[in-house]
Amino acid sequence: MEQAYAKVLCELIKNGKKPTDAVRALKELLEIRGRIALLPKIARAFARLAAREEARGKLTLTVARRGDAKHAIKEVEKFLTTQKISDTDLCEEVDETLIGGWRLEGQGVLVDASWKKSLLSIYTASTQ
Amino acid sequence: MAQSSIVEKIIKEIEGHVGAQLSEHVGKVTSVGDGVVAIDGLARAVMSEVVEFEEAKGKKLADAIDSPASGKGKLYGLVLNLEEDSVRATILGDTSRVHEGMTVKSTGNVLMVPSGEELLGRVVNALGEPLDGKGPFKNAAMMPIERQAAGVIDRKSVSVPLATGIVAIDAMIPIGRGQRELIIGDRATGKTTVAIDTIINQRYEPEESRPICIYVAIGQKESKTARIVEQLRQEGALGYTIIVDAPASAPAALQFLAPFAGVAIGEYFMDAGRDVLIIYDDLSKQAVAYRELSLLLRRPPGREAYPGDIFYLHSRLLERACRLSEEKGGGSITALPIIETQEGDVSGYIPTNVISITDGQIFLTSNLFNKGVRPAIDVGISVSRVGSSAQTKAMKSVAGTLKLTLAQFRDLEAFMQFAQDLDKVTADQIATGQRMVELLKQKNGAPIPMEKQVVMLFAAMSKLFAETPIARVQEAARGFAEFIDTEHAGELKEINATGVLSDDLKKTLTHAMEEFRLGHKEFFAEVK
Repeated sequence: MEQAYAKVLCELIKNGKKPTDAVRALKELLEIRGRIALLPKIARAFARLAAREEARGKLTLTVARRGDAKHAIKEVEKFLTTQKISDTDLCEEVDETLIGGWRLEGQGVLVDASWKKSLLSIYTASTQ
Repeated sequence: MAQSSIVEKIIKEIEGHVGAQLSEHVGKVTSVGDGVVAIDGLARAVMSEVVEFEEAKGKKLADAIDSPASGKGKLYGLVLNLEEDSVRATILGDTSRVHEGMTVKSTGNVLMVPSGEELLGRVVNALGEPLDGKGPFKNAAMMPIERQAAGVIDRKSVSVPLATGIVAIDAMIPIGRGQRELIIGDRATGKTTVAIDTIINQRYEPEESRPICIYVAIGQKESKTARIVEQLRQEGALGYTIIVDAPASAPAALQFLAPFAGVAIGEYFMDAGRDVLIIYDDLSKQAVAYRELSLLLRRPPGREAYPGDIFYLHSRLLERACRLSEEKGGGSITALPIIETQEGDVSGYIPTNVISITDGQIFLTSNLFNKGVRPAIDVGISVSRVGSSAQTKAMKSVAGTLKLTLAQFRDLEAFMQFAQDLDKVTADQIATGQRMVELLKQKNGAPIPMEKQVVMLFAAMSKLFAETPIARVQEAARGFAEFIDTEHAGELKEINATGVLSDDLKKTLTHAMEEFRLGHKEFFAEVK
């Protein structure tokens, strides 16, 4: 039940309604229906939904060393243009275990151009 | 492998390696529990698609390598629910390796299992991975676990017998190649024994027409499966048998998938024009595993908390057993599903479902089992709807009235305690029935070839054992079959080759019966 209310709240805000107005309207509706006790649960469900929405839109570029980012961004931009993916929320991370190269993850897509992946696939192919 | 060749292989791999930036569709694990995982994303996932859990992320290269010694390998899941914002999948392996936030990759493939000659004599799990420590399969073909059953045009009616080696079945409830015959009964009534004896009996078949046997153990104790493997090995039946094992300790997902894996393995052979015999031991446990999985996937529960598609689960599985037309190679899959009943109640939800899907049922009862009638087949309610057209003429000619004789005996059985007051006709019917029941008793692991069964039944129907003490009927019948085997081996071969009991053969057998009566007076002590 709380999921459905949270989803409606999310949609209202997405469609341009002010968050304070949307919450007030929801509160009034719940009072009329005698379901005001659901409000804390709806708040938690809304937080989860919002976090999920945010994570979905986020693009994470991971590199092995901080210095690799500059070169990687060029390649990533090229890739994003061909795939028509927006790079508005591109954030950078460092993961030394990648050894080299880069890895882009987000918006339901993963591009792994890291050396670790290449070495792993070479290892798997030569040991089979 | 020599060191130089390993180096060469690595160089070749490096040279051929393309560092292409291929994009993959991914999602994130949002919750894990009881072998079921909820994944956010994977918008393009399809039903029954295999997904791969990415375990290498954040691990050093050395730790990320799937060392064969570690026995871990890649971890996969199977998409079973497509929801509005997420998908739910079942984990095909160790649940403890999955954690929240883990990346899940779409593979674009439906689940497949290896199949081929290499699998003969092997024990595999529901994913087709070897469990017997004899190493991986090298040249196996991959078969999809879910496949549409053959259509009407591609099918042929059942016409070739599948001998079980059990007299009661081959004579009265015959099974044909491509048939689905249910074995149903309470616990400890000999259901598995009937199935295993059928596998063992295939050793008498010529190699070119011998069915490939697949035994699918679902939710069974590992010790029981180990015992069956050993029995098959000792009887020389393992060479043409494949065991698919999803023990009671396996996750519900693997128990649910095991029968589908078994039939997928069988379809490889059927497509190649071979005959296959598959045993699902048992589908009640598969239904329970599917119920568990469905409840965890939050599908609405129906009768007895089973999901709404429980009938479809079994019908789509059993429909894949069929006999293909000559144009399609003429191969077949004969299915012997097993269902366990509670207190002999065949009107339960799952038993009635499977009864309605199959082409007949062999019903085993505790009463008969406890009376010492083994196999404990209740002939009255056991039936084979299509098998009679696959029965050999020889068997038909000797077993035609057997079911009626036994039915009459069952009706009169209650009057046995008034034996002294009975008229001669009734007393004779009871005596014949008692001897027939004795004749149909059979030890487990001792199937009898068709031609010997014909000879034994011919002798019984010709009243050879009418005056043999009841306790010695079985011994006398086996003795007669052995006598024919040694003294008239040619006749036995002829029955086997032609499947017909000609008038000449009948005369020879009648003559042989006299010889046997004179030579084995110990069985006919009461003859005056």
